[in-house]
Amino acid sequence: MPDTQAAKPQRLLSADIFAVALALLAALLVRLNLIPSIKW
Amino acid sequence: MATTAIATPRHQSLALQTIALVPGLLLLAAVGYAGKVIEQSIAAYTKSHHITFPNIEYVLWAIVIGLILSNTIGIPRVFATGVATYEFWLKAGIVLLGSRFLLGDVLHLGGISLALVAIAITLSLTFMHVLGRAFKLKPKLTSLLAVGSSICGVSAIIAAKPSIDADDEDASYAIAAILALGAISLFTFPLIGHSLHLSDKAYGLWAGLAVDNTAEATAAGALYSDAAGKVAVLAKTSRNALIGFIVLGYAIYWSSRGQAEKVTNKAAFLWQKFPKFVLGFLLISLLATVGFFTKPQLTSLANLSRWAFLLTFAGVGLRTNLRELGKQGWRPFAVGAIGEVFIALLTLGLVYGADHYLTL
Repeated sequence: MPDTQAAKPQRLLSADIFAVALALLAALLVRLNLIPSIKW
Repeated sequence: MATTAIATPRHQSLALQTIALVPGLLLLAAVGYAGKVIEQSIAAYTKSHHITFPNIEYVLWAIVIGLILSNTIGIPRVFATGVATYEFWLKAGIVLLGSRFLLGDVLHLGGISLALVAIAITLSLTFMHVLGRAFKLKPKLTSLLAVGSSICGVSAIIAAKPSIDADDEDASYAIAAILALGAISLFTFPLIGHSLHLSDKAYGLWAGLAVDNTAEATAAGALYSDAAGKVAVLAKTSRNALIGFIVLGYAIYWSSRGQAEKVTNKAAFLWQKFPKFVLGFLLISLLATVGFFTKPQLTSLANLSRWAFLLTFAGVGLRTNLRELGKQGWRPFAVGAIGEVFIALLTLGLVYGADHYLTL
């Protein structure tokens, strides 16, 4: 597992940006009340 | 922090790649949710029977269930791709956690963290290189272990590996040692914190400064308390922000010795290595500070962050295979372990020294 991971730095970068984009999109949907309140 | 290496052949279509994520994602959700249900069931049982019992957070249950599964029956290959997304959820969760911080608090505690990180990194990198020489490790393996234990674990090793032209084998050794030590710190840090009666802020700062991988640092903080988990994430995020500078330093060092490629564009290099979720965290914190979200919306974002962390903690247990880690040889592990103890003691001393500045 580790060496497979080590060989993919580019993929890591895109996953990083995608995670940020998804979180910001979720925050926007919450702000616009497009998704119901999230319970824990 | 570790990687989000999604091992998918290039010829696969996007639809197939997405479908391949489903089994592992369901497993993450099932393990994490089982941890939550166990925590709530024990709390409800002890309350209804008037039994005094310490609350054991879902974090620990999720990690333990994951560890048991991966080290007994093992994780079938079909789950691997989805389980590997646990780091993705960690980053998304950290960005959303920004909603729980006012930007002023981020800058205050982040500033303290950065100052402590700078001291700790300087001393720990020096110490790791002395140790590496004493244990006769290959210099590049020592460099990888040093960045892994000083900055942010596996992702620092992955960022440094191509930059210093290190071997795959060295990277595997360093990653295995850092993962094993991360698993140990998950269980030892909360025990030490409680025995020293550390405040939530002091403990959170310590975990954020000393535990290598972001997933483990977040879990070690959350195992202590919710407030400690929050501070641990902030301190760890400050530490992650420095990854580019340290890796750049190593790249320049090894290229000056003719053993790695020269860095031509330093600004592009720094941007490439910079963890982008730090910017997302700061943006959400800024929006929360200027009143962009209402109070119920902030609660929703905080809860969303907790759901993302639930998947992360399940992944921490599921990806830790103790037998695989044991095969990697004792010397890198010994250097890593001694280095970790040094860094833990050093950062603990720094946190004690900075305690009266911790007014978050």
